[in-house]
Amino acid sequence: MSEGTAPLLEVRGVSIHFGGVEALKAVDLEVRAGEVVALAGDNGAGKSTLIKIVSGVYVPGAGEVRFRGERTPAGDPQAVRARGIETIYQDLALADNLDVGSNIFLGREPMRRVLGLPVVDRARMTEVAREVLERLDIHVPPNKLNVPVRLLSGGQRQAIAIGRALWWDAKLLIMDEPTAALGVPEQRKVMDLIRGLRAQGVAIILVSHNLNDIFAVADRIVVLRRGERAGERRVAETDGDEIVRLMVGDTYAGTRQAGGVRSKT
Amino acid sequence: MAPERLAVVSRIWPWLFLAGLIVFFEAWAQLRVGRSFIGSGYNVQAILLAASAPLMLAIGQTFVIITAGIDLSVGFVMGLAAVCIAQFVDRGGAGAGVLALAIALTVASCLVPGWVNGFLIARLGVPAFIGTLGMYGVARGAGFLAAGSGMTVPVDHAGLAWIGTGWTPVVVTGVLLAAMHVLLSQTRFGQHTYAIGGNPQSAARAGIDVRRHLVRVYMLSAFFAACGGIVYTARYSAGAANAGESLLLDSIAAVVIGGASLFGGTGSLVGSLIGALIIAVIQFGLIFIDVNAFWQFIAVGAVIVLSVLIDQAKERLGRAS
Amino acid sequence: MSQRRIVIRGAVIAAQAALAITLMGALAPAGADSSKPVIALLPGVVDPFYFTMKRGADQAAKEAGAELLFQIPKAWNTADQVPILKAMIAKHPDVLVIAPVDKTQLIQPLKEASDAGIKVITVDTYIGTGKYRTGAGNADFPYSYVASDNTEGGRIAAQALAKAIGDKGTVYVENNKPGISSTDQRAEGFAEEMKKHPNIKVLETQYNEDDANRAAAHVAAVLARTPDLAGIFAANTFSGKGAAAGVKNAGKTGVVKVVTFDAVPGIDQDLKSGLVDIAVAQKPSEMGYMSVKYAADLARGKTVPTTFGTGFVVMDKSNVDNPDVHKYIYSN
Repeated sequence: MSEGTAPLLEVRGVSIHFGGVEALKAVDLEVRAGEVVALAGDNGAGKSTLIKIVSGVYVPGAGEVRFRGERTPAGDPQAVRARGIETIYQDLALADNLDVGSNIFLGREPMRRVLGLPVVDRARMTEVAREVLERLDIHVPPNKLNVPVRLLSGGQRQAIAIGRALWWDAKLLIMDEPTAALGVPEQRKVMDLIRGLRAQGVAIILVSHNLNDIFAVADRIVVLRRGERAGERRVAETDGDEIVRLMVGDTYAGTRQAGGVRSKT
Repeated sequence: MAPERLAVVSRIWPWLFLAGLIVFFEAWAQLRVGRSFIGSGYNVQAILLAASAPLMLAIGQTFVIITAGIDLSVGFVMGLAAVCIAQFVDRGGAGAGVLALAIALTVASCLVPGWVNGFLIARLGVPAFIGTLGMYGVARGAGFLAAGSGMTVPVDHAGLAWIGTGWTPVVVTGVLLAAMHVLLSQTRFGQHTYAIGGNPQSAARAGIDVRRHLVRVYMLSAFFAACGGIVYTARYSAGAANAGESLLLDSIAAVVIGGASLFGGTGSLVGSLIGALIIAVIQFGLIFIDVNAFWQFIAVGAVIVLSVLIDQAKERLGRAS
Repeated sequence: MSQRRIVIRGAVIAAQAALAITLMGALAPAGADSSKPVIALLPGVVDPFYFTMKRGADQAAKEAGAELLFQIPKAWNTADQVPILKAMIAKHPDVLVIAPVDKTQLIQPLKEASDAGIKVITVDTYIGTGKYRTGAGNADFPYSYVASDNTEGGRIAAQALAKAIGDKGTVYVENNKPGISSTDQRAEGFAEEMKKHPNIKVLETQYNEDDANRAAAHVAAVLARTPDLAGIFAANTFSGKGAAAGVKNAGKTGVVKVVTFDAVPGIDQDLKSGLVDIAVAQKPSEMGYMSVKYAADLARGKTVPTTFGTGFVVMDKSNVDNPDVHKYIYSN
């Protein structure tokens, strides 16, 4: 964790309304390079809304988002992506009927010229696919490199989504419930991936309901409750009970049901 | 069966089936009718001509179906085009210049229903079935109105007739098919078409302008309906407003037999070609061996069901691995 | 298993299947006797009129010792008839007897048949002008046109309808679609004759594209805007069925007089109940018989007349039970 350096992402006083409902109220968030910040909160707390503002999908009613010192172009997710903020959605946003390479390059396919005509460079896409998977230390047998990704396992698909973000030089990675649909060994693999990314200096916002995961990889936890920032704790200085208390308010303090809690990692 | 093996089978079974059909008809024809089925230039030309009509529509329909859409208006847009080209040529007189202008005007007019389809489906969110069903009616009415009281518009133009004689319609369809095959399999446009069919949300998140792309796809479909109408009028020396009426379902059947799923994401022009050939061989073959031609509808229906079952099996086994 | 192996296996299975089917085909009796003339009959659409025609055709084929090939399109349009036509040409019959579905669009396809050495006879409908072997025009090559005199039939229908409505009132024509020689001529004959009846107003013709349901819907629509409609001339089989149904649905049986061309199955009930006033029955069986007889003659090198007119039987409630008249009702 690099505490003394300037934050990569600064979210200051962000608020947004949907209809008559105030989904977020004056929320602050900071993330530094090489840091994993967990964003926790109950359903409807505003986690999805916040990450959509950071990635440029929504325009906040008030407040600002700064990335590497500059304001991000609100409402233009492609431009925000171009600056190095990539989101990996819960559904992975993969095209299931296309292969690994096609997914990595989706929307930005490399071209080459054949007889003067621009043609998609499939060889390059396959080559990059192999490279990306290697980099993430994910084993995909060669005969599966060109099959539709829906035929691959959940963990492999998750890796492809992460690999795609990295290939395009993501400096900040937002991961929305990355282990939700995975079995235990694959969850562990994803956690390893996240640790590896952190070691490479990538900043990560981890949105998760899974307190185990949060305590396994996060450095800090920011808790949202009903659109407001309920609190922030360093993982080393807190436990599951406290986080749950922050998530739901004091009403349910002391209950041990939420999320398979472990007190300290 | 292992999923990779099944994937290969599902890719080549239409070819094998076509080959099997040809062998079957040839054997039966030799023994019962005493003449060759496939060994005759006339027969091959007749089969290819019969296949070329729904295939022209199927070219555009393939793109549409890959995007998980459907274009029910192609039959009557084809009729509208047939009537338009006849009217334009009648008014323009003889000569290649008139023909070229008439073709350009006809295609341009028919791109309008395609654009409307795309607009309804991509920008207003109307389901493809309903949007194109509406255009089915509009194009039909427009076609009959444009034809006047006659419902068909006779035309007499040497250049236009040339397009409709002998192998020319087959060659025209073949060239367009090849060009579109390159578009679908080698270009970004094709890649994005598949992506949108597989997961439009993922495609949008990846920066693809899904709505603009869909409008283009429906306009492409209308373009090929227009080509089909022009070839029709060339072949029969008259533009009939109902020219494509019986070809709509055959065009969809060809695409589905060729391996496309109506849920989108898969399909190919080579597949649609084989699908169209299978249908044409069955139609021609049954008559050639003196079987009541109505069996062709049962046969084609069975082939469609078979192709869907193979597709489903591939899906299920692929996921299980 | 490698892709190549799969392809080979698949090809072997396909070959085995083909062999099995071939053996089955071989066990069946062999094909045509090559000395018999082969005549192909291709009518317009599935319709009792054409099935009745086929019976006459079968009879003539038997008598002439000829083999008859038969296929029937499912709908009355070019895109349905032409592929069947081409497949029949591929079988190289000696003569093709056809009811062309369009007098312009079928010229080119039939020319192909003629160029391939197949002699063409058109039955019920014609191509071009219907005047063949005159040396003029591009639709000159067929050898004969066998049909009713449809223009005269139209006149007869007009006279019958005029009489039925008391020579005054509003009428309209329910027809298949323009471009078909037979129904066009009936409409012309009707219009020509009606000009002689100044007190009868003829509304615009409605086209139903050979769909009885559409014809019935037209009747409802016309009645809605012209409640005092006096009569309808239905120019062919499906127009007649639809028009009768439409009049019955509107409860106007006997009020709106219906004169229909073609005696469809069930016409005797309709005539007796007063739903249909007159049915101008053609003689499709005779058309089928004569056209195939001419075809067999042509195949044997004889010459045939370029036209043959079959007659009409005018049916009404008074004579329809008469067996000599009843036998002219069409059947499937």
